[in-house]
Amino acid sequence: MIQPLLSAKGVSKYFGGLRAVDGVSFEVFPGEILGILGPNGAGKTVLFNLISGIYEPTSGEIWFSGERIDGIPPHAIAKKGIGRTFQIVKPFASLTVLQNVLVARGITRYSHLTKVWGSWNSKGEIEKASEVLEKVGLSDLAERKAGLLPLGNLRRLEIARALVVGHSVLLLDESFSGLRHDEISRLEDLIRSIRKDGLTVILIEHNMRVSMGLCDRIIVLDHGQKIAEGRPTEIQQDKSVIEAYLGGKGTTHAT
Amino acid sequence: MSAYVVTIATLMVVQAIAVCGLNVIVGYAGQISLGHAAFFGIGAYSTAVLTTKLGISFWTALPLVIGISALIGLLLGLPSLRVREDFLAITTIGINFIVEAVFRYVPFFGGALGIGGIPRVMFFGVRLKGIPFFLLCLGFLVLVLLICWWLTRSWASLACYAIREEEAAASTMGISPVRFKLLAFVIGTAMAGLGGSLYAHYMQFISAGDFSFPISVGFLAMLVLGGMGTLWGPVVGTLILGILPELFRPLVDYRIFFYTLLLLLMIRFQPGGLLGENSFARKIITPLLKGLRK
Ligand SMILES: Nc1ncnc2c1ncn2[C@@H]1O[C@H](COP(=O)(O)OP(=O)(O)OP(=O)(O)O)[C@@H](O)[C@H]1O
Ligand SMILES: [Mg+2]
Repeated sequence: MIQPLLSAKGVSKYFGGLRAVDGVSFEVFPGEILGILGPNGAGKTVLFNLISGIYEPTSGEIWFSGERIDGIPPHAIAKKGIGRTFQIVKPFASLTVLQNVLVARGITRYSHLTKVWGSWNSKGEIEKASEVLEKVGLSDLAERKAGLLPLGNLRRLEIARALVVGHSVLLLDESFSGLRHDEISRLEDLIRSIRKDGLTVILIEHNMRVSMGLCDRIIVLDHGQKIAEGRPTEIQQDKSVIEAYLGGKGTTHAT
Repeated sequence: MSAYVVTIATLMVVQAIAVCGLNVIVGYAGQISLGHAAFFGIGAYSTAVLTTKLGISFWTALPLVIGISALIGLLLGLPSLRVREDFLAITTIGINFIVEAVFRYVPFFGGALGIGGIPRVMFFGVRLKGIPFFLLCLGFLVLVLLICWWLTRSWASLACYAIREEEAAASTMGISPVRFKLLAFVIGTAMAGLGGSLYAHYMQFISAGDFSFPISVGFLAMLVLGGMGTLWGPVVGTLILGILPELFRPLVDYRIFFYTLLLLLMIRFQPGGLLGENSFARKIITPLLKGLRK
């Protein structure tokens, strides 16, 4: 049997009385594209923050490649090859687009007291960073200040940085929102090619057409709980999912 | 040059060294510090104690002085940099008051009288004062600027910039915010210590009041005026704020008021400082330079 690459075991995150994530368990297998669906406020982003170490779970465990990673700080989790994007984009605004990618490329150096003194401004480094920009289609804007880019380009920059860090797992938080049609299909192609390279992708996506087309498996969250899991076609017909999206508050959900 | 001019120039260069250190903390890593004068003072008092009580020379004391400043920076920075950013301002003000109080009330540091009789710097058998000492300070400033320039092209400073811009995003790129904030803080306090040491050997007499909170506000005003995060900003800011009060002598008593007002105005209207991008000074100077080249 194949071992899961990443798994959550009964993970919860409470903010005071609010159960943002409530006893969620799931597994992702190597090379898989897993989708996370759910209405606004369902707890999807909080789940990403738990995996990437920004938050510590109130209870439950997160495992990555045979190792428990909950409670480990974000920079240590990143070093394991888990890259992520932010739904609310977080560019290093006063740095150039290229420098934004270079920051991510420094990941192999930041924990070595000697390597941090080397120069990022070298031909080799800039070439490698430019290759990543090429992949996401930002080459023309390499020297532009990141803070001046429109949202669509910032989403691509988020992906570029995450690609550098996430050589094992990529967490994409609504990377498609705010993109034009042609940009969406380009990004779909990119994600498929990333998967061909052996990466595992978890993506949060409201756009049904995109998530149905890309994902091998989908889990659905509502009010912090996992209400469904299955292949895209199964999810489409799942009663509790349809209810969660169409029914308002006060509905009870099967778990 | 008259002695008066040399005095002003020397003090400005010494302050510029400290402000360069503040720039690493505030400009590079984005961590506000309102207690930089404390570390300037720690450098001054360390060298004063070492040279007057142990009788060692400025040069022998210097590595120790820089080491002590950096070490105390590390010890005080560790708890301070863990607090939320808006508390850091308060915490560093607190550090300034505590350090000043230690100088003022601990007899070992001369109490209210301060420490006098600090020897002049010897250089190949020559006792440096006046212009030669000014040139020595200038040499140290050049060295500090070279270090700053060298820092800006290192991965360490890239990590600091990332923390300054977006701490959460930086942490998901393998950067430990605490480690790099601390690194910036230690480099910055070491530079303050160097400046403080030169100050002590120039004045030959120091007391706690030389390192009080208003001096920290002055340092920050110089940095913000010149341009946070730029290489030359600390020098330009120190020059302007060093010369202005000399031109308006009666205003000297209101210096702290003037600094604070300037800080608020700059942060409101020109957060990048005079040398920052899109600053009004740049908009005026750049076309002029272009015109000159033609
Ligand atoms: N730091 C926080 N403190 C308090 N509550 C929070 C915090 N972060 C998230 N929440 C709450 O947790 C719940 C889940 O939020 P989350 O951002 O995960 O939703 P989401 O599923 O990503 O929604 P969307 O589709 O709108 O992005 C929300 O009610 C939100 O207000
Ligand atoms: Mg979200």
